[in-house]
Amino acid sequence: MYRKFTISDYIRYVIVLIFFILIIFVFKLQIIEGEKYKNIAEKNIVRIQTIYPTRGEIYDCKYRPIVLNKPSYNLYITPGEIVNKEKVSKFVSTNFNKDIDEIKKIIHDNRYRSYQDILLIQNIPFEKMVITSEQLNYYPSLLLKAEKVREYYFSNHFTGYTGHITKDEYNKLSRKGYSINSNIGKAGLEKYYEDILHGKNGQQVLQIDASGKNLEFFKHNLQTAPQNGADLILTIDNDLQEYISSIFPKNRKGSIVVMDIKTGGILAYVSKPDFDPNIFTGGISAKQWDNIITDPDKPLLDRIIHGTYPPGSVYKPILASLGLEEKVIDSNTKLTKCEGGMWFGNRYFKCWLKEGHGRLSVVDAIKYSCDVFFYDLSTRFSLEQINRYTKQNYLSTRTGIDLPGERKGFFPSRKWYIDNYGKYVGILGHKVNLSIGQGEVLVTPLQICAYYSALGNDGIWRRPHLLAKRIEAEHTYKDFVEQKHLPISEATLKLIQNSLYKTVNESYGTGTAASINGIDVYGKTGSAENHMGEITHAWFSGYAKCDKFEIGFTVFIENGGHGGSVSAPIARKFINYYYGIME
Amino acid sequence: MKKFEWMIFSLLLLLLIIGIISIYTASSSKIGDDFLFTNYYIKQFIWIIISMFILFLLLKAPSAIIEISIFPIYIFTILSLILVLFLPEIKGSHRWISLGPVNFQPSELAKLFTIMAISKFISKQFLNDGQILLRSFIITLIPITLILLEPDLGTALTFFVILFSILLVSDLPKFYLILIISPMLSIITSISIWIFIAYILLLVYILYRSNLDKVIIGFVVTINTFIFFITPIFWNSLKDYQQNRILTFINPMRDPFGAGYQIIQSKIAIGSGGIFGKGFLLGTQKNMNFLPEHHTDFIFSVIGEEFGFFGCTFILLIYFLFLYKIAKSIRKIKWKEYRYVSVGILACITFQIFINIGMNLGIVPTTGIPLPFISYGGSNLLVNVAAIGFILKYLNERSIFA
Repeated sequence: MYRKFTISDYIRYVIVLIFFILIIFVFKLQIIEGEKYKNIAEKNIVRIQTIYPTRGEIYDCKYRPIVLNKPSYNLYITPGEIVNKEKVSKFVSTNFNKDIDEIKKIIHDNRYRSYQDILLIQNIPFEKMVITSEQLNYYPSLLLKAEKVREYYFSNHFTGYTGHITKDEYNKLSRKGYSINSNIGKAGLEKYYEDILHGKNGQQVLQIDASGKNLEFFKHNLQTAPQNGADLILTIDNDLQEYISSIFPKNRKGSIVVMDIKTGGILAYVSKPDFDPNIFTGGISAKQWDNIITDPDKPLLDRIIHGTYPPGSVYKPILASLGLEEKVIDSNTKLTKCEGGMWFGNRYFKCWLKEGHGRLSVVDAIKYSCDVFFYDLSTRFSLEQINRYTKQNYLSTRTGIDLPGERKGFFPSRKWYIDNYGKYVGILGHKVNLSIGQGEVLVTPLQICAYYSALGNDGIWRRPHLLAKRIEAEHTYKDFVEQKHLPISEATLKLIQNSLYKTVNESYGTGTAASINGIDVYGKTGSAENHMGEITHAWFSGYAKCDKFEIGFTVFIENGGHGGSVSAPIARKFINYYYGIME
Repeated sequence: MKKFEWMIFSLLLLLLIIGIISIYTASSSKIGDDFLFTNYYIKQFIWIIISMFILFLLLKAPSAIIEISIFPIYIFTILSLILVLFLPEIKGSHRWISLGPVNFQPSELAKLFTIMAISKFISKQFLNDGQILLRSFIITLIPITLILLEPDLGTALTFFVILFSILLVSDLPKFYLILIISPMLSIITSISIWIFIAYILLLVYILYRSNLDKVIIGFVVTINTFIFFITPIFWNSLKDYQQNRILTFINPMRDPFGAGYQIIQSKIAIGSGGIFGKGFLLGTQKNMNFLPEHHTDFIFSVIGEEFGFFGCTFILLIYFLFLYKIAKSIRKIKWKEYRYVSVGILACITFQIFINIGMNLGIVPTTGIPLPFISYGGSNLLVNVAAIGFILKYLNERSIFA
């Protein structure tokens, strides 16, 4: 049944043939062309060079600079050309003030990138460069390059900053053309729009021998040009931004945000205390970093979107519109008489005015910011109803601003109380407390600003944004068109707007400190009790209209005192100023 | 007593030792006067111990157990080839399953068990030609399709070599092999109508001389002409990046920053090694790290640079003796299925060696195929040693039927 198996002979012939071919080519490369390749190898002629793109710059709405690239001198090391690791590490360490172990670690981590230039020191001062450049000749592995570095024009929280790529980031991004020396956005707009700002690396193959002759290994495609990053044009107005920054009460913490109510574009974005992003461009040292993050005032905290706070009375219009929308009250309904407080079960809830406001309609309740009116109103809704309506007004939900790490805020639900206080928790007391924006409710100043801007924009809520035009795909710009309607009818809206107007412009309103002749200022004050200190957070939020502009704003001073006396006057100042520069 | 093939086993051990030495030098880097090592050679040593253990197990395991587990394991490898497509990309393709510290490449196991499965299913008695063709094609085309999706052109090509080599030694009349090969040649020759016409004329001549029926000749010519017309249509329907991938596979110089650059660097390294090489650990091109990952696919360039023409010849000689010895012994295997398996494995390993060294020398397309027994890599080493284990086992068992 077996047939003679002769195929194995053919297989052997094939094997012989294959190895004959391989030997022939090894012979050709090593014996015949050996000298030529030895020559090329000795001179390291053929290698790939990366061409870095220029990072996009950032400008304000009038094309004035916010972030630009400026020339800087950077020190690189080529691991393959190191003669003595100890000596070179010591030289760099003593001359450029960098930890010697840190330098050795960089060399060790990059030992397989022998012929690549690895960034050691960024942003070397010109004088230092001049002094050390002569000594550099003794260290062939060191290389000084003139490149570009970010320059931030003012301290702020929205531009963010760039930093040297970390190992993890590099592993993730190396396929997108990032190199081990790349800088990458670490926070703010620099991080959010990294893809747009960064651009794409170019490459070129060097294959020129010592005499300048082309070795002609490759016939074409020797260079791919880098693609520079696109510039960002913001809605920020540098004048307003700087003015607000200058009038912000000294040694106070807090934030002020101003936006165009028609588009949602942010005109000013001030959070204090702030930091100078330029400190990060030189590659920040561990000690400097420690100083910043252990600072009790938290200068890195963006108090517009990263901080959440109890809203206090600026929350009241939401509950009022819920009452009006659900027809629980109308414009004339007067609730329980305010005698300086109100009993719920065995607990007495005070109104901020000890003498009491008497019986008020909804408009006056907002104007005088009467607590009792809202205590009473809240009892007519379930907690879930209030929770849902709050969310529908885009509080306790992210606004979607074009910055990373925005916080959501918080509004408790029935389930949350049961989970945290047990089954027999008295919801009523908590609900009454929430009605005036106290208790567990937390909001970001940006959410409040977006809400009041929507009230001023016929109830149309616009997503806040810093970029003037949305950038889609390759350098195509589009308007931000996203818009949503607050869950509020026209009649209710008119009533709320009217009460905000009266708050500022009628005597005994809580926000009269913000009234300006010739400009219609609408607003609501808030003085929120909090666990951060004895003194209340001072809120003032609203919108201002005149023939030149329509802006929404929120002024928030942490533990600043009363909104009416602390925050409202600041709003008055910058509205006035903005009116002036809009001439 | 059964006879153990000590010669083959010793040559295998020698190759593994050469591998360890090469990986040791390939994973070193020079900073100033110091050498820095990465521990690949230790890992490889552990892998060798594990694979020796598996080889030992295979030799001891009863054939019946191996027989019944072939098909389930084949199915398992197919499933893992499907799974790998849904895992995140590593280095630009879906080839690896990451299992903690080791990356496992399912296509390696698929190679071995495709060989086993084809051999098992076409060595049954009383099969007609159609059945043999159908079975072997289905068994190979499933993994080929999945591997092309990864995408991994080089490994997919290995499966064609396996299929072809097994069918070559099978009972199938040889003109079927022309049937299989000719469409591929049609695809290649379709770049020019004149080359294609010359090719068809040659084909008809060969078929005619083989005394084949005119109907069959007509059929082959029709099929090939059809393929000639369909190829440009198919080609144009490919996306740009897919076309580029294939063109770069054929001509690496199209990609000066990737494959082309690697080949140039590999050639410079090997060529500059000259007759005697630059010496152990002293390869300048290696130490400058112009080639990424030279402990895996480009390890031959390190050997060439440091040990020169003598080193290369020595390694080629060991490989040659090893393969030649196996090829010579295969005829002694009387059991048809085992013979097919051995031929499949032999062809597969020979092909990998040729492709890898050829790639290092810049004469064949760049693929991700490592150098068997020498390159660093767990799953590749394990599967290749196990494959030799099967051959040793079958050679060992021949006396039962002799």
